[in-house]
Amino acid sequence: MAVFDAYIRKVAEYVAAMQGGGRQCRVFDCPGAPDRLLYGLPVKVGPGAGSGIVLRGDTFAELGSPEAGSCAFPLWTNNIALIKDCRITLIGPDILESRGASLPFAQIIIAAGKELSDKQHSALDESQYIADQIEGYMVKSTPGRMWTRISNTTAERGFGFEALGKALTAIYKLHIPQIEAMEIVFVTSGKEDVRKLDEIAEQVKKISKDIIRETWLARGYDILECTLGWDCGSCPDKSVCDDIKAVITVRKKKLSKRQASTKK
Amino acid sequence: MALIDKHPELARYISEREWFQFLREQTLALIEIPEMQLQVKTLDSLLKMYGRILDAVENDKPFIASYYCLAPELYTAMDIPYYMVMQTPFLASSVPYLLDDIDAAEAMGLGSDLCTAIRLSIYYVEANLSPLPTCALNLLYPCDGAPLLHEVIKRNERWRKIPMFGCDPPYYMDERSLHYFASELRKMVKFIEKHTGRKLDLDKLKETLERSNQMFSLWDEYNQLRRNVPSPHGWGIGAPQCFSQAWVYEAGTPQGVDWFKKLVEIAEINVKAGIGPAPEEKIRLFWFDLLPFGWVFEVLPWLEQEWGAVMVMDMFGNYPYTMIDTSNEEQMWLDIAKRNLFDSPMVRQARGVADNFANDIKRIVKDYKIDVVIWPGHMGHKDGSATVGIMRETCRDLNVPFIHLGLDLFDKRYTTPDQIKDKLSQFFRAMGLG
Repeated sequence: MAVFDAYIRKVAEYVAAMQGGGRQCRVFDCPGAPDRLLYGLPVKVGPGAGSGIVLRGDTFAELGSPEAGSCAFPLWTNNIALIKDCRITLIGPDILESRGASLPFAQIIIAAGKELSDKQHSALDESQYIADQIEGYMVKSTPGRMWTRISNTTAERGFGFEALGKALTAIYKLHIPQIEAMEIVFVTSGKEDVRKLDEIAEQVKKISKDIIRETWLARGYDILECTLGWDCGSCPDKSVCDDIKAVITVRKKKLSKRQASTKK
Repeated sequence: MALIDKHPELARYISEREWFQFLREQTLALIEIPEMQLQVKTLDSLLKMYGRILDAVENDKPFIASYYCLAPELYTAMDIPYYMVMQTPFLASSVPYLLDDIDAAEAMGLGSDLCTAIRLSIYYVEANLSPLPTCALNLLYPCDGAPLLHEVIKRNERWRKIPMFGCDPPYYMDERSLHYFASELRKMVKFIEKHTGRKLDLDKLKETLERSNQMFSLWDEYNQLRRNVPSPHGWGIGAPQCFSQAWVYEAGTPQGVDWFKKLVEIAEINVKAGIGPAPEEKIRLFWFDLLPFGWVFEVLPWLEQEWGAVMVMDMFGNYPYTMIDTSNEEQMWLDIAKRNLFDSPMVRQARGVADNFANDIKRIVKDYKIDVVIWPGHMGHKDGSATVGIMRETCRDLNVPFIHLGLDLFDKRYTTPDQIKDKLSQFFRAMGLG
């Protein structure tokens, strides 16, 4: 599927613009296989690797708080050539350079695989929220943002964005075998730089919503239009529902024609 | 002349205050326990609210009847006391006359298929057991019962002369909806100003909202602590108290900030010590609704003691609360709108699309290491019950057991506590839990 390809290119343009704009930019190219990614990492990675929480008093640095700003979304494609496997790009300061700081944070996960499809979309989205899978790294359970903490102990062991990127890549590849290549972009250079990604994030969110809706429709549930939650095939109101949708379609067409002629 | 003689509608309200004063005295006996110190403070806040309402009636000061999801920080900033119309059912775990009230509501002709919280609220209005406010802000969401309550209140012989306003809620969760609801809230403020004579000072509102932000930020911090294994608290302290402080009694007040600071401190101590409410935490529950306030003492302690089943998270504890940006007035109103329409508990699930239920389950199960998702299936939450299919499928995808109970959160006779215990016990055994 190519629905996200244009956004993958936009992210690449964004990275180039950041580099051209003089932002501190580091690129880490890592080995591809999950076991090689995990080899030598300063922290445990996997289900139950950590407690999932970092207390306020134990925090080395915080990323993506409401005040600092955050943005996170996954993208995926069937065109493996669009990305460089296991490349981690960091724009801005690293974790280890930021003791006591509360940094703005953007995290963009880009996955590629010939067999990737809508069926893996939810898993790709949900895997961003790693729960207890990275020792000493907490993703706060607060919907709508990527707000994280790194513990003092974990930072002291040398856990920076390279390690985080490797850990995330390994988690994704192990959890979703259809992923053949993966790239991650981290941004910590400034709130405005993170905000520039909001437009892409908004569009990705809309597409994501449509994919999720179609996935549920295929299972017989219309999760956005219908709160009844019944299987449409057995719903007694289906014929009424279909008529209403037909009327809405006609009205939308009339409205766009009217808007188009107004513009002329 | 006693206050009750002049205002007979206050009889129940005064006796409720006395009841909570009694409860406070009982709780003081356990004051050495840090969590009980918080419970005393919660009761202090509750009693303060009762006192302010009674004082307002006695001294002819303005006060309003409203709901939690209608930006209570506005009333704090305007220094207007407010009480929640549905307050008594929500405090039901304490009051001894609740079942009699439910029976009286049915005797009045209110159908037993109508949500008990709505039924009771109608009863209290019709039976002249609710204080008569200066003006009333009525809720038209999240469920069909809410506008029904509004219609009854509007037509009641004592209430029909009271000025009323209802913010119109949009269906979707998009920018257009947000702007629309923000404008509704501003209309609501104009309405309050007109009928109470109090003006909204924007600087005071900003101060109040900044404190409110602190409270929600601390609440978020506390929620993260409940992810710990074992969870530092169970059913006994958590969402109901946090909710009552942040949304009802101390919205944006300094006392509210202090309360949350204390809560987080206590929870951190428990996390560091590895202490939880049960001797051994064997099952982590997600209770996806209000707590069963009508009979909470008869089931939830049993769950912890009998099964080591700890309620780690519930619907009212989980939220994506927006921090309100007070640096820009336009953004401030949009953020207030978002917090009250998109983020507030129960409203956000029931008002909007069914996807909200699925998303909450997915995130909570993963982050809180949930072993069982319980959809209580309150008889009044028909909108949510209709999405049971979606919730069940979501849990199936997550490979986590899901149980739909079918009960009345306020009336223990609908499905008795013993029946609930039996159903849960059989379920836990069947799932190999505990």
